[in-house]
Amino acid sequence: MKKYIETARFYFKAQLAFRFNVVMGILLAVGRIIFAYVLWGAVFSDRGTYGGFTFDTMLAYYIINGFLTQFELSDGVSGEVSARIRGGTFSKYMVLPADVEGYFFAQSLGASAFYMIIAAVTSGVWILLFGVKITFVGGSVIALAALMAFMGMIVMIQINYFLGLLTFKFMNISIFLMIKSNLFALLNGTLIPLALMPGWFGNIFRYTPLYYVSYLPSMMAIGRLVEQAAFGFATLGVWMIALFIINRRAYSVLRVRFDGVGI
Amino acid sequence: MRRNIKFILTLVKMKIIGSSVFRLSFFGAFFVDGSMFTLQVLMFEAIYSQIGSIGDWARGDMMIFIGTFSLLNAINMTVYFFGLIGIPRKVIDGDLDYYITKPVNPLLRLTFENVDLGSLPLIFLSVGIVIYGVNIAGYILSALDIALYTVLVLLMALLYYDMEVLLRTVAFFALSVGNLESIEGSLFDLCMKLPGTLFKGAYKVIFMFILPYGIMATLPSQALTGALTAEAAVYGVAIVAVFTFAALRFWKFGLSRYKSASS
Repeated sequence: MKKYIETARFYFKAQLAFRFNVVMGILLAVGRIIFAYVLWGAVFSDRGTYGGFTFDTMLAYYIINGFLTQFELSDGVSGEVSARIRGGTFSKYMVLPADVEGYFFAQSLGASAFYMIIAAVTSGVWILLFGVKITFVGGSVIALAALMAFMGMIVMIQINYFLGLLTFKFMNISIFLMIKSNLFALLNGTLIPLALMPGWFGNIFRYTPLYYVSYLPSMMAIGRLVEQAAFGFATLGVWMIALFIINRRAYSVLRVRFDGVGI
Repeated sequence: MRRNIKFILTLVKMKIIGSSVFRLSFFGAFFVDGSMFTLQVLMFEAIYSQIGSIGDWARGDMMIFIGTFSLLNAINMTVYFFGLIGIPRKVIDGDLDYYITKPVNPLLRLTFENVDLGSLPLIFLSVGIVIYGVNIAGYILSALDIALYTVLVLLMALLYYDMEVLLRTVAFFALSVGNLESIEGSLFDLCMKLPGTLFKGAYKVIFMFILPYGIMATLPSQALTGALTAEAAVYGVAIVAVFTFAALRFWKFGLSRYKSASS
């Protein structure tokens, strides 16, 4: 365990070398808030509520969702695994005296911890700047939402690690990863709260882990859908176990295809 | 002129031959951007299921707007995006030497050397979304409406091109334009979801005057919805003229400051 903690600590510190990029990336997230402010400002101009949201709760939703997605960096795992396999340098990870998937967990979580601090500060700035009134929903609900977001982040790393491993078989998965990012933005509730989608949409996707990565934690943080938390934890637990088995199997089967070109 | 057209056709022919080597990724941009705009249609369908209009934009109008932005993006991806995106790298690496030493306008070659015919289906998808919007709104279009729309789309595609050239010309003066490209992506992402007329105050000044992403799909869309005023059309033409002039002048100025990396 110690080596994974060291790895996480190293990647936390490594972000300091790219602090300008980190700050730029997080500042650019203001685009999402402006989008929400302008779009929902127009929608709420002639009504007080929409889909159970007020203008303030809608903005609070986007700020919290933006906060959670800013430090969810699992996309980098699939990109890194894929690029390393294609470039022939994945052997760097194969020879490490650590579990490859565990190493990527530590790497991603270490970087996320750094981003989380900056995202928290900038989210506070957005709240002040856009004058959003946040209603405190209680410490226990916030703790549950935070735990769910953390579990969601673990599952996302597992999913992205699996997708990266597919490069062993398909060589170029970059287009697939870009389509995945588009699709996940909708399913994570980053574009609009899933509560506004038709009922069947939520009923289907609440069986997938994506529903719990940032959407449900954001909704819980504004005091809604708290009753879905238990089902969410159970669903995430099942997915974590399933993906753990799938990833072990996939790695042991696919890694023999690696020919180490470029070494 | 005739010589330039012959040159462009030769570049396209060379590109097609080159693309045949990478058949799997040939339609990559189509799938990636096609999925992005399809999800955007789904998102606004969900929002409009509970309201009649956002600002002055009814459901059909919004579909026309999305289709038009998709069309501009499709023209960009098909014709010049993959050529222009390589400018900063070529400037920094000194590869621009190979362009300025040839008896042809370097910008012309850079613009058309990476025409991506795999993005061509995006144009059909976009036109399909526009037709869908026109049908929903129940507009009966005259030949004049369609001609005006076509002219405005082409003008706005030129404006889009100008913005891309302006931004990438900064590479002559800076070590990296990565962050500027991120800002461009963020602004583009914001403006493709919101018609320019929804912006108020400072946002209106930024997106309608300084960085006119906000007018790109708005003006052509208004030509179909009947909301286009003569003043707005003249403003659109004027801003295209100003930005085209600025882009070409800035490019020339940048080129005069180019220091080959190999010398």
